[in-house]
Amino acid sequence: MAPDRSAIVLTLEGVVAGYGPMTILHGTTFAVERAKITTVIGPNGAGKSTVFKAVFGLIKVRTGRIAFGGEDVTNLAPRQLLAKGISYVPQGRNIFPELTVLHNLELGGIAAPPEIDLPARIEAALDRFPILRSKAKAQASTLSGGQQKMLEIARSMLLDPRLLLIDEPSIGLSPMMVRETFDILKDLRDRGTTILLIEQNARSALQMSDRGLVLEQGQTRLADTAKALLNDPRVGELFLGGGSRPEHGAEEK
Amino acid sequence: MSAFIQLVVSGLATGAIYALVAVGFALLWQTSQTINFAQGEFVMVPAFFVLVAIKYWGFGYWPAIAVGFAISALLLGAAFKGLVVEPMLRHGVLPLVISTVALAILMKEAVKDFYSSQAQQFPAIVEGTDLDFLGAVVSTQSIAVIVVAIGAVALLNWFLSSTLTGRAMQATAQNRNVARILGIDVERMILYTFLINGLLTALASFLISPIYLAKFTNGETLGLAAFVAAIVGGFNQVRGAVLGGLILGILDNLAAAYVSAQYRAAVPLVVLVAVILWRPQGILGRVEERSV
Repeated sequence: MAPDRSAIVLTLEGVVAGYGPMTILHGTTFAVERAKITTVIGPNGAGKSTVFKAVFGLIKVRTGRIAFGGEDVTNLAPRQLLAKGISYVPQGRNIFPELTVLHNLELGGIAAPPEIDLPARIEAALDRFPILRSKAKAQASTLSGGQQKMLEIARSMLLDPRLLLIDEPSIGLSPMMVRETFDILKDLRDRGTTILLIEQNARSALQMSDRGLVLEQGQTRLADTAKALLNDPRVGELFLGGGSRPEHGAEEK
Repeated sequence: MSAFIQLVVSGLATGAIYALVAVGFALLWQTSQTINFAQGEFVMVPAFFVLVAIKYWGFGYWPAIAVGFAISALLLGAAFKGLVVEPMLRHGVLPLVISTVALAILMKEAVKDFYSSQAQQFPAIVEGTDLDFLGAVVSTQSIAVIVVAIGAVALLNWFLSSTLTGRAMQATAQNRNVARILGIDVERMILYTFLINGLLTALASFLISPIYLAKFTNGETLGLAAFVAAIVGGFNQVRGAVLGGLILGILDNLAAAYVSAQYRAAVPLVVLVAVILWRPQGILGRVEERSV
């Protein structure tokens, strides 16, 4: 099923990008629908994280075009993209360990335009994540892995982005924290935020997603509803651990 | 006892100056991985900016000090970052370190050739009178140095922890990539660090030159002391650098009095070896994680 054209918020057209002389994205093309969760799956080295970095202006797009809300945003700097309504939560630990939880949170609003009432936003975020309020004055390094992820998500939501790019949020979290993180993402979607998600645990991510993309060698192989992908035997065999074939086999050229 | 108090107070004065220089050293390392082996010369040279302003431009003491701060921020801060650190850091940390060593030699020889090879008198902030403190003779100059230096560090600490810009600088030091992702102007934060280092070394210069006179070779011992102070306290901590500076200053003075003045110069090195053996991350430092 093709995405609803009128509801497209982000498009990539023939994006070529990589690191130094290495090319990872070989003409990546896809579209992301508004207020949906879209999960990107694919083998290691397929370019999932690289797509996010290209969208968020952290690596240079050599050719191709990225459009957000109908506007060309190719190769804009993170600051400009934040102003346009895109936020990014990378893989791993992304806190400032020696600042307090509150000060970490507050830095999420550093690029805010002056008309935004930041203290009110911070209050709202603390209401939404009570654990962050109770630890507001503590050093961020004292948070557990799951709490740190909460902090990162809360921080990335401070500017009320229209699109959230979130890379492997569940890595290293307990099953309970994973569920909680996914619930937060669903809640954000229900409030109208578009979410583009990368997940190692492709099956459970697709189960809570609206749409899915399969990326392989820097190109979109499949793009469909999450449900269709879950039932697609090719996907099941290669990425969901459904078949007897080792996952490894999919990534070799 | 009174002699001991006297030595500790003058040690604290020297130590507070070391602390200023060590803090700048640690800040540069944290935000931009710059190890500045010209840091000692950065302390030596601002005194000559002031002397030039007084002697050749006819400035009074305070205007000359203001000019000294301005030139230091410009040359030792902004120009150092733009002309030395940025072009060299692209090639790695080692080329940068070697460039700062070269810069140190250049600054030293320039002062010798263009100003003088003789030690120069340098005006003090306060008249040097002696006070009686618990039976010990303490000079007002030492007290003034301690107050000004500690005040400057406290002000810097307040700026780093209590203003949004200061916290954005800390964030840049702790995780530059994430700082960029949040929209922090990382380049500007790094520039601020260099400007602050220029001002700190200039202040150290204006405080120490009245005591030891302004001479082109001053940087040799000062740079080493600051480097050791930063390592002793913990390279990644501002308060560690302060502690390291104070410890070194006091030990330095006590060793000169009770051991031998000739071995004074060895004190920083002995302390350095001891710390590296027993607590390589420094007294207050934390072990740095590096992903490879």
